[in-house]
Amino acid sequence: MSMQATDQTTQLRGDIRQHANRRSFIVVALLSAMVLALFVLSLSCGRGCIAPPDVIAALFGSEASGASFVVNDLRLPRALLSILAGLSFGLGGVAFQVMLRNPLASPDIIGISSSAGAAAVFAIVILSFDGWLVSVVAVVSGLLVATVIWGLSSSRGAAGARLILIGIGVSAMLDSVTAYVLLEAPAWDRAEALRWLTGSVNGAQLPNVIPVLAALVVFGGLLLTSARDLDILRLGDDAARALGVRADATRLRVTLAAVGLVAFATSAAGPIAFVAFLSGPIAARLLGGSRGILAAAALVGAVLVLAGDFTGQFLLPTRLPVGVVTGAVGAPFLLYLIVRTNRNGGTL
Amino acid sequence: MTMNRTLEAKTLSAGYDKKVILQDVTLGLPAGKITAIVGGNASGKSTLLRTLARILPVKSGSVLLDGKAVHQMPSREVAQIMGLLPQSPIAPEGITVADLVGRGRHPHHGLFSRWSNDDERAVAIALKATGITELAERELDSLSGGQRQRAWIAMALAQETELLLLDEPTTFLDVAHQIEVLDLLVDMNTSRSTTIVMVLHDLNLAARYADHLIAVANKGIYAKGPPAEILNETLVRDVFGLDCRIVNDPVSHTPAMVPIGRHRVVRAENTAA
Repeated sequence: MSMQATDQTTQLRGDIRQHANRRSFIVVALLSAMVLALFVLSLSCGRGCIAPPDVIAALFGSEASGASFVVNDLRLPRALLSILAGLSFGLGGVAFQVMLRNPLASPDIIGISSSAGAAAVFAIVILSFDGWLVSVVAVVSGLLVATVIWGLSSSRGAAGARLILIGIGVSAMLDSVTAYVLLEAPAWDRAEALRWLTGSVNGAQLPNVIPVLAALVVFGGLLLTSARDLDILRLGDDAARALGVRADATRLRVTLAAVGLVAFATSAAGPIAFVAFLSGPIAARLLGGSRGILAAAALVGAVLVLAGDFTGQFLLPTRLPVGVVTGAVGAPFLLYLIVRTNRNGGTL
Repeated sequence: MTMNRTLEAKTLSAGYDKKVILQDVTLGLPAGKITAIVGGNASGKSTLLRTLARILPVKSGSVLLDGKAVHQMPSREVAQIMGLLPQSPIAPEGITVADLVGRGRHPHHGLFSRWSNDDERAVAIALKATGITELAERELDSLSGGQRQRAWIAMALAQETELLLLDEPTTFLDVAHQIEVLDLLVDMNTSRSTTIVMVLHDLNLAARYADHLIAVANKGIYAKGPPAEILNETLVRDVFGLDCRIVNDPVSHTPAMVPIGRHRVVRAENTAA
């Protein structure tokens, strides 16, 4: 009798889990399809459109109808950087939001992106560094600022208003450092300055793309191996510990991974406004409590950067860098989340 | 689950940062029994439980699980033997009861292991034992306080540990739900011989439901033993600073404490024993 009841409940539970898994699967599949579609669109359409078959031919090396240069040298690096930066910002952003149990605690709100941007500008303009060295400086600076913000707010676990406010203050300070360095460098054109202030994938070249790809593999991998522990950490430090998760060690791994992702992407594309901040909450709404938020947020990030860049380039009266477009979309959403968080202290 | 695990403290000192809250505590938790830890506010009863559960580090001495220092054991290994329900765990927004209870399976999973039939069975049994199978699909936020507490206990049950520690599991519950939760713990104790250690505020419920009582006061253990042997008027005065009468609980035949305050006391001369 009781055996039978147990069988029934087992069956019921299996259905629920399947249902949740199906939703995760559909969301991830749809987002992947969107990324692919936007990628193809970015390669084929620009000032002139190239038919997808010619794009594919050009990608695989045949000299079809003069498309090779446009596709391979102009559009491909730009589209690849958009995807990689979007994935990195999406992953890094949601990692912070989940870890600190607050959607406002994303790296672009609490100063991590600003610090990476300021460090990158400083390294390029003042120290004349380039390539990998710039990214390393950005990562170190990001970790330093994360440590400072953690230290100043010293909140254990959940990120209260204190951490957010300190982060916003630190962020404003670092943005002014970026602005100052750019002013002191008269040789810089406006477009290049905009990259460091709002983020842009203008003039991307394959050598810029490779460090971002490498960082995504290394830090993204580190983050994925911590994904289950990170999920358990959402129950609070005590419950996580009781379930065999070492809270501080997990936080250290996740912080390192998220800062690495954000800093490498920032040193190639600038701090593309609000992508890290928007991706997690959008993914959470799509999933509705199902698992797989890391993958979904990463893909949302890629969609945002690809779509934002395409919009900024071709759909508006004037050409704008991607960061201006995502910034314009992100600002109202920030207001919405602040109001909502004030009301219910919401977690992600 | 016939093997009974032993949990004990040896000359244990514990506390937060530089503050010592417990000093030189030595005690053993009877295996397969229900132990209640009682004491006044800020007496260190929660600190004792959290240190036993290795949530807090030891300052000196040790906590031994089957004779091994629990603070040195791999965290996952401990989590397969000993569970803890903290006082105020956090529910992720939008989480369903089934998903929350499923989280209890975490210590049984490796990095890449998949959800198994064992996991499914453990979750189903935990839902059934706590009487919330019908609520499995509901969001935790939409439940009443009593149902929510049962969901958290179900999560701890799904962990399938031989020892279960609970930090004030009845706080914020009305009296009917308090009894329901305590009855549930007795069910677990008798059906699975799970060793239960809990911090309780209500001295009378502690005396009724516990086989073993630990009274914490002045940074140490004031008394420990079966409630009928140790719970008396002197203990209540020394531990809680309260005058009282101890009477026989007519329902359970365990000692029951009737407090004596400054007001609403008839024939005060007879009560000052």
